[in-house]
Amino acid sequence: MKTPKIRFDKVTKRYGELTVLDSLDLDIAPGEVVAVIGPSGSGKTTVLRVLMTLERINEGVIWIDGEPMNRMRQGDALVPASQAHVRKLRSKIGMVFQSFNLFPHMTVLGNCIEAPIHSLGLPRAEAEARAEGLLAKVGLADKRNHYPSQLSGGQQQRVAIARALAMQPEILLFDEPTSALDPEMVGEVLEVIRELARTHSYTMLLVTHQMGFAREVADRVCFFEGGKFVEQGEPNAFFTQPQSPRAAQFLSKVLQAG
Amino acid sequence: MNWDWTFAIHTVMPRLLSGIITTIEVTILAFLLAVLLGLPLMLLRVGKNRSISVIVGEIVEFLRSTPLLVQIFFLFYLLPEVGITLPPFATGVLAIGVYYAALCSEVFRAGFEAVPRGQWEACTALNLGRYRTMRDVIIPQMLPPIVPSLGNYLIVIFKETPLLSFVAVAEMMQAAKLIGAEFYRFSEAITLTGLLFLILSLICAALVRWVEFIVNRRIYR
Ligand SMILES: Nc1ncnc2c1ncn2[C@@H]1O[C@H](COP(=O)(O)OP(=O)(O)O)[C@@H](O)[C@H]1O
Ligand SMILES: [Mg+2]
Repeated sequence: MKTPKIRFDKVTKRYGELTVLDSLDLDIAPGEVVAVIGPSGSGKTTVLRVLMTLERINEGVIWIDGEPMNRMRQGDALVPASQAHVRKLRSKIGMVFQSFNLFPHMTVLGNCIEAPIHSLGLPRAEAEARAEGLLAKVGLADKRNHYPSQLSGGQQQRVAIARALAMQPEILLFDEPTSALDPEMVGEVLEVIRELARTHSYTMLLVTHQMGFAREVADRVCFFEGGKFVEQGEPNAFFTQPQSPRAAQFLSKVLQAG
Repeated sequence: MNWDWTFAIHTVMPRLLSGIITTIEVTILAFLLAVLLGLPLMLLRVGKNRSISVIVGEIVEFLRSTPLLVQIFFLFYLLPEVGITLPPFATGVLAIGVYYAALCSEVFRAGFEAVPRGQWEACTALNLGRYRTMRDVIIPQMLPPIVPSLGNYLIVIFKETPLLSFVAVAEMMQAAKLIGAEFYRFSEAITLTGLLFLILSLICAALVRWVEFIVNRRIYR
C-alpha cells in the first residue's frame, strides 16, 4: 500500500482527566477527502488541532508522508521533535478555522502575503501575484485592499481559504468552515471548498455539520464519538445504511433537525 | 494673601518658564524610557523561560510597591556610591522612567493577553515564526486598546516631575521653590506653578485623546 499522507498511530489527547482522543488510529491517502462528523463536543476539532500542532498529544505518533511529526528519528529511536522539525512538516498543512481568524489590522492582500513573505521567504511581488491569483479564484479580487471588518462572514472565510492556499500546503484542514456564517453565506464558501476538492490534489480533512455537503465532496466519511472513530465508510453507504447504532442514531437526529 | 502682579509677571514667570522646559524634557524622556523598557519587560515576563519570567515579575512587583520618591532618593544617593555619577537630570529621568516602565509593562501585558488566541493559532497554522508573530500580528493588535492607559501614564509622569525638586533638578517646582527661598514670597510662584501644570495637563490630555482617535481610526475602520 502507498504511504498514507496522514497517519494517526494510537494518538491520545487528554485535557486533565478528560480523554478527548483515545488511542486514535486513522490513515488518509494522498488526495483523499475525508469528512469527519459527530456530536458536538466529541473531539472533532481536537483531531484537526493536534494535526496542526496547535495542541500537544499525550501519546502516540502522527505521521505525515511517512515522517513522524511530533517525533523525529534518531538512529532507530523516535525522540521528541525539535521546533525546526515540526516547522518543516507543518509547512505541508494549512487550516481554515471556524471563526476565520483573519488578521484584523491587515488588508485582505496583507493577510494573504504575510506568511508567504515571512515564512516561505517569497519576494513581495511574487507573494502578491500569488495572492491575487488566489483571491480571484475565491471571487474576491476586488476586495484586496479592504479590511476584514469591511467584509461579510462568507467573504472573510473565503479570504481565510485564500490565505491558507497561499502557503501551498498539501493538506487542508477545515474546522466547520461554515458554522459561524449566516445561512445565506454558507453556499459561497461551500462552493469554494467543493471546487478545491474537485480540481486539486489536496488531501482534505473536513469537519462539518453539513451532511449533504459531506456526502457530496468526501471520499470517505468518519463518524467520531467517544474519542474514537466509531464508523467509517463510503459516503453513500454511510448515509443510507450506517452500520453502527450510534451513527444511525446521530444521523436520524441530525437529518430530522436539519 | 497678598499678590504682586509685577513680581509675578516680571520675576516669577521667566524663571518658571525656563523650569517648564526641563519639566517637559523630563516628562518626554521618562515616558519614552517607560514605554521602550516596559515592552521588553513584558515580553520577558510572558516569555517561555520560566526563571527569567519569575525574576522579571519580582522586579516589576518590587518597583510597583515602593514609593517613587524613595526610588529617586535611592538612585540619587546610591549610584554615586557604586561609582556611577550622573547629572541629577539623568538620574531623575532614569528613576521615573524605570518606575513607570514597571507600570507600563503591566499595561502591555493586559493588552497582550487581550489578543484573541485565534490570532496565535492562525500564525502557527501559517508557520510564522515567533518573532514575526509578535512583530506583525500580536503587537500591532495589542497597542490600540492600551493607548488610553499609556497616555494616562504620560499625564501622571508629567504631574510627578515635581518629585525631582527634592533632588534639585531644575524643573518648574524647583524653580518655584528657589524663587520662594530667594524673595521670601511663595504665593505667586506656587500659584503660577499650579496653573501652568493645569494648563499643560489639559493640553497633554487633548493630545492623548487625539492620538487615540488617530490610532482607532487607522486600525478599526
Ligand atoms: N483547551 C481545552 N481545555 C480543556 N478542555 C478542552 C479544551 N479544548 C477542548 N476541550 C474539551 O474537549 C472536548 C472536545 O472538544 P472539541 O474537539 O472542540 O469538540 P468538537 O469539535 O467535536 O465539538 C470538549 O469536551 C471540550 O470541552
Ligand atoms: Mg468543533
